[in-house]
Order: sequence, then structure tokens, then C-alpha cells
Amino acid sequence: MPQVLTANRLSDGEVVYLASDGAWVERIAAAKVFTSPAEGESGLHIGAAAERELKIVHAYLFDITPAGKPVKMREVIRAAGPTVRRDLGKQAAL
Amino acid sequence: MYRYDEFDQKAVDERVVQFSGQVARRLSGELTEDEFKPLRLMNGLYLQLHAYMLRVAIPYGTLSSKQLRMLAHIARKYDKDYAHFTTRQNLQYNWPRLADVPAILADLATVEMHAIQTSGNCIRNVTSDHFAGASADEVDDPRIWSEIIRQWSTFHPEFSYLPRKFKIAVTAAPKDRAAIKVHDIGIIIRRDAADVLAFDVYVGGGQGRTPLIGHMIGESIAAEDLLAYLEATMRVYNQYGRRDNIYKARIKILVHQIGADEMRRQVAVEFVEVKAQGALALPQVEIDRIAAYFASPAFETLSDENPTTANPAFNVWLENNVAKHKVPGYAIVTVSLKPIGGIPGDASAAQMDVVAGLAEKCSFDEVRVSHEQNLVLAHVRQRDLLTVWQQLAAAGLGTANYGLITDIIACPGLDYCDLANARSINIAQAISTRFANQDRQREIGELKLKISGCINACGHHHVGHIGILGVDKKGVEFYQITLGGSGDETASVGEILGPAFGEADVPDAIETLIDVYFAKRSPGERFLDTYRRVGIQPFREKLYAAH
Ligand code: SF4
Repeated sequence: MPQVLTANRLSDGEVVYLASDGAWVERIAAAKVFTSPAEGESGLHIGAAAERELKIVHAYLFDITPAGKPVKMREVIRAAGPTVRRDLGKQAAL
Repeated sequence: MYRYDEFDQKAVDERVVQFSGQVARRLSGELTEDEFKPLRLMNGLYLQLHAYMLRVAIPYGTLSSKQLRMLAHIARKYDKDYAHFTTRQNLQYNWPRLADVPAILADLATVEMHAIQTSGNCIRNVTSDHFAGASADEVDDPRIWSEIIRQWSTFHPEFSYLPRKFKIAVTAAPKDRAAIKVHDIGIIIRRDAADVLAFDVYVGGGQGRTPLIGHMIGESIAAEDLLAYLEATMRVYNQYGRRDNIYKARIKILVHQIGADEMRRQVAVEFVEVKAQGALALPQVEIDRIAAYFASPAFETLSDENPTTANPAFNVWLENNVAKHKVPGYAIVTVSLKPIGGIPGDASAAQMDVVAGLAEKCSFDEVRVSHEQNLVLAHVRQRDLLTVWQQLAAAGLGTANYGLITDIIACPGLDYCDLANARSINIAQAISTRFANQDRQREIGELKLKISGCINACGHHHVGHIGILGVDKKGVEFYQITLGGSGDETASVGEILGPAFGEADVPDAIETLIDVYFAKRSPGERFLDTYRRVGIQPFREKLYAAH
């Protein structure tokens, strides 16, 4: 299953995703998709380095559907914001 | 209210400086996350799904207007204009930036507040009866004893690294509004035949993965010996509590395994020793010193009156949300943080300011936070009730549902919480909306409905008359229903009804349970009474036949 690397930004806890250009971005739509376990493994190394560089904390991979949506509710909510406050989180700006 | 002495203030100020340094070192890379995490947790700072979360201690749920205004100010300045009141009588900010946390803590310190003892394996913020000092049925103000325990436990070197977190609750009324029997230690203060205060100490209650009701270990402990007895209990726990397995590390597991009698015996042995050392004996002058902080406000000499008016909405609120005060002419007002379809326990900064203003004008400057996630104005003149209600209602705080089916406890669940298996607020909202009709709610009568998003049970589902637990089944949210729990003086753990329900089916399931109750109830019975009389079977049969 394809995967995306996520973490929380150190300075404010914002949910971020690793993009193809190596930047940590706030939108899941811009996230790099890892298609194999080996790629995912390399992603985790990038995450560990970013933790050392004080960009992020707690990097991990999660599964997405072929359409690019998170499989688990937890990641759906992290990508958007609380389902009970549509005015808050990333969804607020959409 | 308790006011900091110079030592309290110094300790809190020093902690702000210390944690500010730790945050700076984290941001500069001198501290790794592994090194920083235990430090931030000691200061109430978590990392949740969307952001950091700061949990602020509200000792025994008592706040001054000034403190509540500061909480509102912080919500406005550093957060997203609201905050969440929890079942631990604390307050949580859901969106603070790490870099702002030192400034937030510094602001809190200016009003004698902090975030210490809200996390980690220490003795947590002591909780108590939200009607303390006001209710007609109490024998003493339990906050005096909560404060004495707070002073003993805060920064106690032996208790900073316990096997697990440790929760103490205190009540001084026969009606237990503080759920003391589901705490690690629960204390009931009574007066004995000679009208002297006596302390019954319950040990080993708790919720979470293994819900258990506490056992009375210490009976009629004298006031001067209270701390010695608690210290003895903690020593036994510290010595035998399991540190190798977090699921077995709570004192309830120890009591469960060795039995209440053995626990009682061991504590008694330690108690003799601690008492002999004498250091923890509480002299009357010290008790009086603390008690002075909680002296009754300057109540006027008034008579009880009938505050009902021609306004039916006010009268309904009066019946539901206003309780009897110990002083004639006064009343206790519960400010519902459960608007129909709203988020239980959330309050906007503007709402906090309204409540602070009302407390200042009409309640001797005091606000309480209840473990049921409501606010309380403890000392309102009966003649001011109409004005208070009007101002609350104008701020969206006038919902007349205290103790009813829409007065739901719900933890933050998967909408915010990193540990959650499922959402809980959405379920609360759906049930609240389904049962919005005021007449119907009142016809159902007292019903404690409590929802948790995982087995940690922050939403107290085990002790809900109806409890709902969110579970994850292969990535889909399901909800397990329990019946017959209670957190009051008749405490009991709810029994699981059967297979869990999908999100959309929960309100219908609750309807079915209410139908069974209506069909079976005898005159005057609450839902819990009927359940206790008829048992789970009729509910189970109807529910699973229907679904
Ligand atoms: S019960 Fe679970 S989901 Fe709810 S707040 Fe506690 S830890 Fe989070």
C-alpha cells in the first residue's frame, strides 16, 4: 500500500508531510508518496535526520489509498482538523 | 479561596524560569525530544494530533474571576479563542505553540496558576466536590483537605516518580459528587457521633482498562492523622506497585491482587511507623490556617424566596440547574457547557469572560469547574437568579440540562487525542441533538451518559448510567455500550451490553434503551434505579432484537 511520511513541526506542533523536494509541507496533497517498503525505509531516515535538524518530531509512515486519501480516520483528522470544528485546523483555510 | 504564600509563588515562578530554559534548549537543539518529553509532561505539555496541548491545573476545580479571565485571555492571545474543561476539573488548550508556552506559564503564574501535576507519574491535581462550601449536605469544606493534600503531595520527593499517575478525590457530603470511589484514593469526610471530623479512606478505585471500585481501607481516621495515613498508603504502593508493566502499575491492581484486607493490614503497619515519626501530624493551628482561606464569604442575612417567574424557560432552568445552598436566600447555579449539539466542556474566551463577570458580581468572585465538565457559580443570591440566567442565556450558556441525558461527559476523543481509537464528541453531539426536546429530557429524568474515545476512560464511560466506549475495528469507529455504571456514593462499574454499534446507529440504540426504561420503570425511578431492579437482560433483548 502507498505511504506518506508525516510528523509534527517542532515549533508549533503543526501536522506536516514530507514533500518530494525534501520540504515539510502542511498539505497532504503535496506529500511525497512512497510506493515500496524500501522507499518508505529511506523516508524514515529522512525523518530521523529532520528530527535532528530540529524541524519536526515523531516522524512516521501511514497508509494511503491509491486515490491518495489516508486509510485511517486518525490520519484523515490530522490532515483536515477536528471533524467537530470545521473552522479549525487545515480545513479552515480550504 | 486559597492564596499562594511566598513559597508557593516562588516555586511556581522558579518552575516557569526552569521550563522556559528547557523550551529554549529544546528549540536550539540542546535537548532531544526524548530528553525533553518527560520535562514537558511534568509541565502539562502534551503533543496531540494537531498540535501541542497544554493542560492547566485548577486545584479542586476552584477559580477566581481573575483566574478565569486570565484563562480567557490566554485562549484569545495564544490559542484559538476557546478552551476545554476536562473531567479532572482542569482546562486544556488545544493549539499552543511550543515557543509560546513559557509566556503562557508566566501569565498563569501571575494569577497563581500553573500546569504542574497535570501529567506524569505523580500525585495529580486533587479533585473535589464542585459544590464545596455551598451545599447544604456537606459536613466541612472538602477544599480545605484537598489543599492540605495538595501541599503535602506537591514536589514530594518520594512521589515524583511513582509507578503510575495517582489520583486523589475528596468529598465531605453523603452525596458523592466527586466520584471518589473510582480514584486511586478517595476520601469521604464525615462527622462522628461526637461531631468530630472523621476520614474514611477508600483505596484502589479507578477506571481505565481495569475499572474497579475502591475499598475502604482506613475508617474514621482522625484529622491530625490524615496525612500520615495517606503517606503510609503511598509507601505501601511505592514499595509493591509494579513498575515493570504499566497496565499493572496502578494501586488498584495491587489492592485487587493482594486483597483489601491485606492492603489494610500493610497500610496499618506503615501508619504506625509514620505516626511514630510524628512529622506528618497535622496540628490544629495548621488546619485552621488553611481553613481560613476557605472561610465562608460574607453572606447577607436573607430568607429563602420563590424565584420562579412567568417565564417558563427560566423556570425550567431553575428546576434543573439550580441547587439548594446551605445559606437561606442563596442558590448554587450550574452553568451548562453542554449546549444542544455542542462540544461538551468547550467554552469560548467570551463565554469565560461572561462567567467571570457574573462570578464577580453575583457569586463572591468564585467559579467552580465540575468533573462533569460544567461550571458552577456557587453562591448566587436567589433574587439575582433571573439576571444571572438572562446573561448566561445571552452568551449561549443557559442550557437547562444539568444531570439530564444531554448533559453528556465526553472526552476529546479522536478529534484531538493522540491515544484515541474513535471519536467521542461527534457521538455526544448526535445524542444531544436527538434528545434535544426539553420535555422529553425531563421525562427521562436524571441520566448520566458518558463517552470515552479509548479504554483510558477519560470520559468516565465505566461509571455512566449509559456508558459509551469508542473502539477501532479494522480502521472503522465502533461504539460499545455499557449500562448501570455510577460514580456516586453507590458507585458501580457498567456492564457491557453486547456487540458494538457503528457511529450512525448509536442514537437509535440509545432511543431503544430509553424505550425499555419507560416500559419498565416504576413510579419515581431513575434510569439507573430501573436498571438495577430489572437487570441488563430486558435492555439487551430489545436492543439486539431491534438492531
Ligand atoms: S479516553 Fe482515550 S481518547 Fe479520550 S481523552 Fe482519554 S486518552 Fe484520549
